Amino acid sequence: LGAGQSIQQTYDLTRYLEHQLRTLAGTYLNYLGPPFNEPDFNPPRLARAERVPSATVDLDLWRGLTDNARLAANYRAYSRLLCYLRVLDGQVGTAELRHRLAHFCASLQGLVLSIGGVMSSLGYPLPAGPAGPPAPPGAPAAPNDFLKKMDDFWLLKELQIWLWRSAKDFNRLKKKVPPAVVTLRLEARGF
Amino acid sequence: DSHIQYERVGADVTMKCGSMDWDAAVTWTANGTDIDESHLNGSYLILKNVDLSQSGQYSCYEGSSWHLKYQTYLRVGTPPKEPVLMCRSNNYPKGFYCSWHLPTPTYIPNSFNISVIHGTKDMVCEKDAVPKNRCHIRLLQLFSTVKYKVTLTVTNALGKNFTTLTFDEFAIVKPDPPESVVAKPVPNNPRRLEVSWQNPSSWPDPESFPLKFFLRYRPLILDQWQHVELSDGTSHTITDAYAGKEYIIQVAAKDTDIGTWSDWSVAVHATPWTEEPKHLTTEAQITETTSASTSSFMAPPTTKICDKGAVVGS
Amino acid sequence: GLVQSCGHIIPESPVLALGSNFTALCILNESCLDFGNIYASQIIWKIKNRVVPKEQYREINRTVSSVTFNDTSLLATPLTCNILADGQIEQNIYGITVTVGLAPEKPENLSCIVHQMARFTYDMTCTWNPGRHTFLDTQFRLRYSWPEETFPDCIPKDVNNSCTIADIQFFVNTEIWVEAANALGKAESDPLVVDPVDIVKPLSPQNVSVSSGALPNFLKLFWENWISDTVMTLKFNIRYKIVGDTDWMEVPLEDTASPRTSFGIQGLRPYTKYVFSIRCMKEDGLGYWSDWSEEKTGITAAD
Repeated sequence: LGAGQSIQQTYDLTRYLEHQLRTLAGTYLNYLGPPFNEPDFNPPRLARAERVPSATVDLDLWRGLTDNARLAANYRAYSRLLCYLRVLDGQVGTAELRHRLAHFCASLQGLVLSIGGVMSSLGYPLPAGPAGPPAPPGAPAAPNDFLKKMDDFWLLKELQIWLWRSAKDFNRLKKKVPPAVVTLRLEARGF
Repeated sequence: DSHIQYERVGADVTMKCGSMDWDAAVTWTANGTDIDESHLNGSYLILKNVDLSQSGQYSCYEGSSWHLKYQTYLRVGTPPKEPVLMCRSNNYPKGFYCSWHLPTPTYIPNSFNISVIHGTKDMVCEKDAVPKNRCHIRLLQLFSTVKYKVTLTVTNALGKNFTTLTFDEFAIVKPDPPESVVAKPVPNNPRRLEVSWQNPSSWPDPESFPLKFFLRYRPLILDQWQHVELSDGTSHTITDAYAGKEYIIQVAAKDTDIGTWSDWSVAVHATPWTEEPKHLTTEAQITETTSASTSSFMAPPTTKICDKGAVVGS
Repeated sequence: GLVQSCGHIIPESPVLALGSNFTALCILNESCLDFGNIYASQIIWKIKNRVVPKEQYREINRTVSSVTFNDTSLLATPLTCNILADGQIEQNIYGITVTVGLAPEKPENLSCIVHQMARFTYDMTCTWNPGRHTFLDTQFRLRYSWPEETFPDCIPKDVNNSCTIADIQFFVNTEIWVEAANALGKAESDPLVVDPVDIVKPLSPQNVSVSSGALPNFLKLFWENWISDTVMTLKFNIRYKIVGDTDWMEVPLEDTASPRTSFGIQGLRPYTKYVFSIRCMKEDGLGYWSDWSEEKTGITAAD
């Protein structure tokens, strides 16, 4: 795939993931039950949840990111988010939800690969593996079920927002590197 | 001494005539009109269950010398109810604005104070000159998981109230409607209408934050709208317009990923192209028709117009 | 009589390529020789119960006899080694089953289609030409992978030319291939590299409805698209006919070439009952048309 085409594909995957997550997160939060599934639930973000990579970024800084830095930030974030999500996936009680989480994890893995593919096609080195394991070795797991659920809540919220950010990131990139091949193919089909 | 006195609707109000004794002879006026003795208790003025119409200037004069001993401006009103606060970003990611109003008037001056907190950070909400009850906040960070908390406090002489909104940055993103909506017939195509529009001018960076659009259209003679969602671009060709019927068309906008749809744009009207009716027209009209709309140019009839022999005989 | 086994054949239960040659050895146990006064020269090879011509035998030594077949297609099972000792009745020494077949050919014409099964469910079915019959137990596996990520194989059930992968992922170029393997060898199809989103057959438009005719020659069709626009945007094909007619009329494809959930059809006859049906596919033409939707009727207004 040319760079333009793989960026377009990555952009499409990001929006597809965001679409999947919208229903999946709703189902999962309902699985966690109140208050986690209430729209105005706004819990504190404890230390463990702070380790989940944050999408928050200074506006001017975000605008000024180089393509390489922009892609690398996405690559690192999703590599780590995937680790967290796989931990989540292993503990879910219902088969249907586990199945959907597993499917989503596979999609997310696809996104990490796609971002890696874009970086390679643009000649950028892949960032060294996910920056740090999901939780530092020996770090205490959530002391009780409620706090565990809170961590899950923040993971899903952060993931949702990362996908929104990535959609904007890849939208910027795809405008800089149009998928030439796609246009050629379409013209070949007489469109 | 003269000052403003605020009282609630329905309250009982007693006014003393300055330093005058209770049994002193006095005269009370309201906006310059003498007040009936029945409202007096000695030199005190008693106003029962006041209503809005009793707002005004009240003066008390010493009986014989008509010296002004006391004057007040009575403002009858109500304490503020919980204000209605709305925050919205129509210029994401530049910032968002909050606007407010009171559900019911208080009839007396109110003062508003707004505080915006993002996590632990206080943010400045810069008041807009116009409209008065609005201020705007500049977003410094994007893609935050931390909610914004906006608290509006309204105070007047009779009381105080407040309302708080807590929201995520994304929940309040709602663009303004698309602008410059234009709908045109497509020459030689009786079932098509070409619609084009522009991003709302308030949307600062459509390149980085592209909008998607929702178009609705219907013939004026029917009530049911047809809808089309367009993931990009600022034009669309309607291909199933009802031939010859005038259409009403509107467009709405939304960020491709976050927030909610804008209101509908101003409605525009257009009628699909229709073939010029084929009837015998004078030479002049043919020339004029030709120049007026090249789309409906028809080769002039070969036979001479009004050549009776040609018409009647055939 | 002989209580213990007096010999064995090697190879044990071989699987042989059709048309190749084959030699088996029957080896008599030394212990039996002393006991029964038997020699390799007395061995009789049989296929099922048919004696193999002696010309194909060779006495390797006192205890070993071989039999050779130049063309295994003549072989059947079992192949037995028997002994006819002097004054004795023919006695079976040992027998093997012989399986003759072919190595699998390279699976050809691999093609895949993603069926939308439900609103959020997409299964990919791949079919291929399994090649010649191998006469052997041949295992087919549909394999697919991304760079650095391999997925569980899809094992066909009861057939050898298709397999369905549940919940396929979109927007990642996926390498798909078929592997055929049996005792005689293994073969792989050419890989197919495709983004599954480009080979989708979407569900047909759902909940089709026809607006009640307010106009004598105009009806409006409404429907729902059950595929998210984050997966693909659609184009449509609409056909209609007067109830009872045989020939369908179609709306020009260029008029329905972009996303929509309704279409106004005009040029109809007043006060006439029409039946409509609609199908959809990916807007850029990649993939497959959906099935035609459920047919719905509508009547135009009187003139």
